[in-house]
Amino acid sequence: MIINLFTTSRVWSNIMALSAASILLWSSVVSAKESGLTSTDTWTIHHAQGETRIAGTPKRVVTLFQGANDTAIALGVTPVGVVDAWAEGANYHYLDDALSGVPHVGLETQPSLEMIALLEPDLIISSRRRHEKIYSQLSQIAPTVSVPTVFDIPKTLELMGQALNREHRARALWTDFSQRITAFRQQARETFGEQWPLSVSLLNIRADHVRLYLDGSYAGSVLNDLGFARPAAHPRNQWMFKLTTKESIPVLDADVVFYFMEDDPAVRDNFKAWTSHPLWQNLNAFREHHLYSVDRVDWSLAGGILGANRMLDQLFEHFGLEENT
Amino acid sequence: MNKRERFVVGPVTLAVNYRTMAISAVLIVVCLALALLALSVGSVTLSPIAVLEALMGQSSGPERFIVETLRLPRVIMAFLVGAALGLSGLILQALVRNPLASPDILGISGGASVAAVAFLSFLTPWLAIQWLPVVAIAGALIAAATIYLLAWNRGVSPVRLVLIGIGLSAAMGAATTLMITLSPITTTMTAYTWLTGSVYGADWDDIRALAPWLLVMLPLVLSQSRTIDLHEFGDALATGLGLPVQRSRLYLLCLSVALAGIAVAHAGAIGFVGLIAPHIGRRLVERQFAGLAPVTAMIGGLLVLTGDLIGRTLFVPLDLPAGVFVSAVGAPFFVYLLFRQRY
Amino acid sequence: MSTATVSTNIKSPARLVPPATRLLLGLVLMLAAFGASLSFGQTTIPFASVMEALIQFDATNTEHLIVQGSRLPRAVIALLVGAALAVAGALMQALTRNPLASPAIFGVNAGAVFAIVLASTLFSVFAMDSLLWIGLGGATLAGALVYGLAGAGPQGSTPVRLVLAGAAVTALFVAFTQALLVSNREGLDSVLFWLAGSVSGRNLDMVLPALPLILPALAASLLLGRAVNLLMSGEDIARGLGQNVARLKTCLALLTVCLAGSAVAIAGNIGFIGLIVPHMVRGLLGHDYRWVVPGCAVFGASLLLVADVAARFLIIPQEIPVGVMTALLGTPFFIYLARRGLRYE
Repeated sequence: MIINLFTTSRVWSNIMALSAASILLWSSVVSAKESGLTSTDTWTIHHAQGETRIAGTPKRVVTLFQGANDTAIALGVTPVGVVDAWAEGANYHYLDDALSGVPHVGLETQPSLEMIALLEPDLIISSRRRHEKIYSQLSQIAPTVSVPTVFDIPKTLELMGQALNREHRARALWTDFSQRITAFRQQARETFGEQWPLSVSLLNIRADHVRLYLDGSYAGSVLNDLGFARPAAHPRNQWMFKLTTKESIPVLDADVVFYFMEDDPAVRDNFKAWTSHPLWQNLNAFREHHLYSVDRVDWSLAGGILGANRMLDQLFEHFGLEENT
Repeated sequence: MNKRERFVVGPVTLAVNYRTMAISAVLIVVCLALALLALSVGSVTLSPIAVLEALMGQSSGPERFIVETLRLPRVIMAFLVGAALGLSGLILQALVRNPLASPDILGISGGASVAAVAFLSFLTPWLAIQWLPVVAIAGALIAAATIYLLAWNRGVSPVRLVLIGIGLSAAMGAATTLMITLSPITTTMTAYTWLTGSVYGADWDDIRALAPWLLVMLPLVLSQSRTIDLHEFGDALATGLGLPVQRSRLYLLCLSVALAGIAVAHAGAIGFVGLIAPHIGRRLVERQFAGLAPVTAMIGGLLVLTGDLIGRTLFVPLDLPAGVFVSAVGAPFFVYLLFRQRY
Repeated sequence: MSTATVSTNIKSPARLVPPATRLLLGLVLMLAAFGASLSFGQTTIPFASVMEALIQFDATNTEHLIVQGSRLPRAVIALLVGAALAVAGALMQALTRNPLASPAIFGVNAGAVFAIVLASTLFSVFAMDSLLWIGLGGATLAGALVYGLAGAGPQGSTPVRLVLAGAAVTALFVAFTQALLVSNREGLDSVLFWLAGSVSGRNLDMVLPALPLILPALAASLLLGRAVNLLMSGEDIARGLGQNVARLKTCLALLTVCLAGSAVAIAGNIGFIGLIVPHMVRGLLGHDYRWVVPGCAVFGASLLLVADVAARFLIIPQEIPVGVMTALLGTPFFIYLARRGLRYE
């Protein structure tokens, strides 16, 4: 009896299920497209996830990625909340003084929304690359400006300059930086004469492979702007290339090779393994002693204008070029 | 206390077991209590009174925001995801007639994982993150369909289904690893968090996307209670009792995949819930699906809710994915259960 | 319920060629694959150069450097690991009378990987000798769990139960491994190596600590061939013929764990070799385990060598981890096996 009832009503339940499913599928697709829209107030800043209106000059800023931490300090604003650094403890050493006493709101990849809310900020700087999902919740806490990536220094500077009402300072910082780059190019041309442009290779030694940072990466693009060339074997307009086998050592040969790595026993072991390989000893850069270790934070992790300037400092020093003050 | 009462309400007949009702009631209370606890703790601890006030709109300020906009959707999401996964596992275990089956082992989570990791690694510059659940569900459905078709040989036997599911699951694990190896490093962490399973960042939009599915599927699943019980008897007996075994199996499989898919789509590949929750349920109440299902759903919800609670309070301000603790707690418990039961 | 046969498959036309010759052909295949592994890669090195590099090594010749420094260790590792995994799979399939048994499916690989990841991330252990023993420990733990879960002894466990138990245990260890990765974000990269499986990036002296484990284990497996044949005809028959079944099964289990654990410690998680090769070999050489075990060693080595060479070319200039490659090759085969059913023939 029960089974009979069951069979006849199954036709109905099938039809209902099918129509319900299609409605649900449609609604989830529609809701996927619709979310990401922003508020309907007046617009002031156009950024990666829409437009945000900011009233007055923000005083309590929370920065949610390394480059934003750096840029805020550069613009003369101390954030009321920052995210943890990727190395060297809670803050990078070069920002230790500036950020002493500033509370941390968690990891760059997963900041604690509760802690941000408790800080009662009036501006949040986030990154679309990292915080796209939580953007709507962030903008309910405070007006939120979203920078497209985490390593685009000029973009970060521009957006934060606008948001913090310090556009003059932002422009001045960028002009200074560009002038330093131009100065480097001129000096390098004068110093190296016909050998310029030198080809350059940028390596990151990891625990089980070596990364080649190309001209699409942050440091790589700075090197590009400075006028360095790339060896012919390097792909163009890409970010990074993993070298998993020591066979590819010849690929990373160049006039100058910069490398950085983490202070970790596995990484050090791997570095030893790679540098003692006969192919490494065959590198031009090795034979002419043009292998330089550089600071991991400034060249890869900082992502802000202060870090970029420190990278330039190291480059000027390495090549013995003088800066005009 | 195995007394049963029968109530007839229109075309629906309810056979009610008092012990099951009692345990379900206790579980409901436990769920509410745990939810209240989850709403109270976090980066800042609020008293339960403050939480209730915030829920009823009688307070303001950051506390109300935290409870209403940050914690409440997260708690609800964790519970719904756990419930869906628990139910999905229960259906699968009945279909396959083996208590070791679960959506993550049979490749359903694997398919969602491949799709989600591909999305996170390569498509995020162009597509908004809100597409992730859609992509993940599509992956789960495609994987399930592939497994079913490959297992088809004049019908689908549970044995073949299991074996092909496990084989494809291994292959999909390899594909996921491949994509993580090829991905730009900025997304590797996100991909891994997704693979472990996390309800971080759950908001009301997500609940609005998830809840309708569950509201529709729950009655569908419950209406199949008798059929699922029949499947446990074996194909021969079930056919003899009038059940169109192949069609029914396909339909139930679809329900199970849909439940697991929607859960995984929103919370990542949380493992073990679909495996453990039915077991705990079976030790508490009867084996019949109608009574077991709500209990299993609640246990699944409690598991994920607890995992998330531990994850976000243990290492404040770090927010560890719920999946870590669900596995950490659930997996050894499962091993213990099985050693005792000797399945 | 299994109908294992001890004689060669009568329907095979290759029966006309005796097993010894077929094994010899396999050996030739292995040498060819070894040579290919030395020749092919980002730069193709002509065979003459390869021979020169091995015999008259010239330290200033780039090609010689590549062969000796990079490709030779890689080929040797592929050889060893492939042989070890294939033999482990063969023994497992005999032990559990389950044609789907293999170190990866039974969680042995996952257990070894977890133990190694745990040691290297939480306890900063990097020395190869220690990692080897740690990997073995993890492999043993996983194997014991699966066996216990599925019911002690093959009487209590059906093939499906074993496979599901293996999948559950794999999921367990994979979950723990992922938990470690998520909480230790700096170590993420190096651990990927273990998860994906790779035969490159290791020097020969890293392999040396494993040799005293793998080589004797392989030798012991060869010697146990006759005993395994007896076991295959049924435990009661074997006991009746005077064999100590319990001791034999323990031996087999230990050998399996030894081989699989060492393989994982050297090269990470490489699956499907232990599954496919025994089937291939049984089809080629019959069910006599005196031939199956050496056959597995030879063909397992060949398969991994071939997979490694293929892995260098698929997404050139980057390389696919060889574990992914074996999964790509092995999945269709696995599905074919699963569809065919669990008849152990």
